[in-house]
Amino acid sequence: MVTAGGIARSQPRENRLLAALPDAEYEILRPHLEPVAMPLGMAVYESGGAQGYVYFPTDSIVSLLYVLESGACTEIAVTGNEGLVGISLFMGGETTPSRAVVQSAGYGYRARAAILKQRFESAHDVQLLLLRFTQALITQMTQTAVCNRHHAVHQQLCRWLLLMLDRLSSDEVRMTQELIANMLGVRREGVTEAAGKLQADGLIEYSRGRIRVLDRQRLESSVCECYAVVKREYDRLLPYALQNSALPG
Amino acid sequence: MSNLLLAALPRNHYRALLPRLTPVELVFGDVLHEQGKPIREVYFPTASLVSLLTLADGHLALEVGMVGREGMVGVALALGIGASPVRALVQGAGPALRMDAKHFREALDASPALQRAVHRYTGTLIGQISQTAACNRFHVVERRLARWLLMTRDRVRSAEFRLTHEFLSQMLGVRRVGVTVAASALQKRKLIEYHRGNIRIRNEAGLQAAACACYVAAR
Repeated sequence: MVTAGGIARSQPRENRLLAALPDAEYEILRPHLEPVAMPLGMAVYESGGAQGYVYFPTDSIVSLLYVLESGACTEIAVTGNEGLVGISLFMGGETTPSRAVVQSAGYGYRARAAILKQRFESAHDVQLLLLRFTQALITQMTQTAVCNRHHAVHQQLCRWLLLMLDRLSSDEVRMTQELIANMLGVRREGVTEAAGKLQADGLIEYSRGRIRVLDRQRLESSVCECYAVVKREYDRLLPYALQNSALPG
Repeated sequence: MSNLLLAALPRNHYRALLPRLTPVELVFGDVLHEQGKPIREVYFPTASLVSLLTLADGHLALEVGMVGREGMVGVALALGIGASPVRALVQGAGPALRMDAKHFREALDASPALQRAVHRYTGTLIGQISQTAACNRFHVVERRLARWLLMTRDRVRSAEFRLTHEFLSQMLGVRRVGVTVAASALQKRKLIEYHRGNIRIRNEAGLQAAACACYVAAR
């Protein structure tokens, strides 16, 4: 793990969950927040491994993956600067059989799990906020399960792109088709075909490892309902989050 | 018969809850919570089984969780959410303990032990949801059906239960014909017996071998 130290390009409160904490609570946490570089592919936590830290992305995006016994994995949720990674550390329970991997490089802050758990248990405001985030995350996971079951690859790709865009400050996603196929748990050919169609229709522009969204509105009209369901729930539960996105709540 | 979530609480916390818990009989097919509607009561199954279902395109789409005596129905309240994010449908008739939403909120405020137990249980539900997402993606209907039957058996603690193909198709998020094909395959291998909406598990070890590894993981 590389610590960004003095070179971190972001402030802790660029993470909107930290920004939404009451000032007094934030001041308690601040000395415990350590800046971290979050490069593409970094494992924030591994299946079964003990995680001592909770991560607050500022301009990075983390993908939560579920790993099956066969080794096959699929993305079940993404978290960017609207939230934190490591809810099981304050919710309690066993380590989950999943991985969290940085999907869009950037920075973040981390805090020892013990301090967050302590605030979760003793400060009502902190607990409320973290629980609301947990519920929003549950909705996202549920909708991913439904989407995996019922919707075509091109709809899932649209959903995935919009979830990413909401968490990025640009209209460009750096990602190879192979990685997207891994995230969605589908074959690469499926992603290539779906991306090719979106490109031919003028919705996106795809070049080596970069996807630029040209027409967000049409992307939103091509996506399955799953995106809107998740978006509405995040807007309702975390009114501070996802200010980049255009879809009305 | 007891509910394990409640039974794990310290004695005095549990006793404080007792006057607020009403024993009820859950009836097969009853909807305890409707998606998007306020949660008025929470339920602690003692020997009943409740499915948590979600809708897509206005139809019942998928079971994302299963609650038996190890848990409770209505955890959203403990997360500060008043409206149910899922439909809670009784899948195995039997007794449960019911508590008013208002009393449940008060009990949470009064008992950190209850809070911790519910939060921890929420964590296991999140595990179930994640696994459902992955299992749906990669595993064929037959293996998923086998897993689902075993999970049901574990929670109703009986090798025989009532089910229709229609119901199973909603649970697994596949078309009815897919369920029919999968169920006949398991029947042909003498792992289950299926007759007029009654399913009996005949060979548990065999059914475990037929189930995807998710069964062991979620147990």
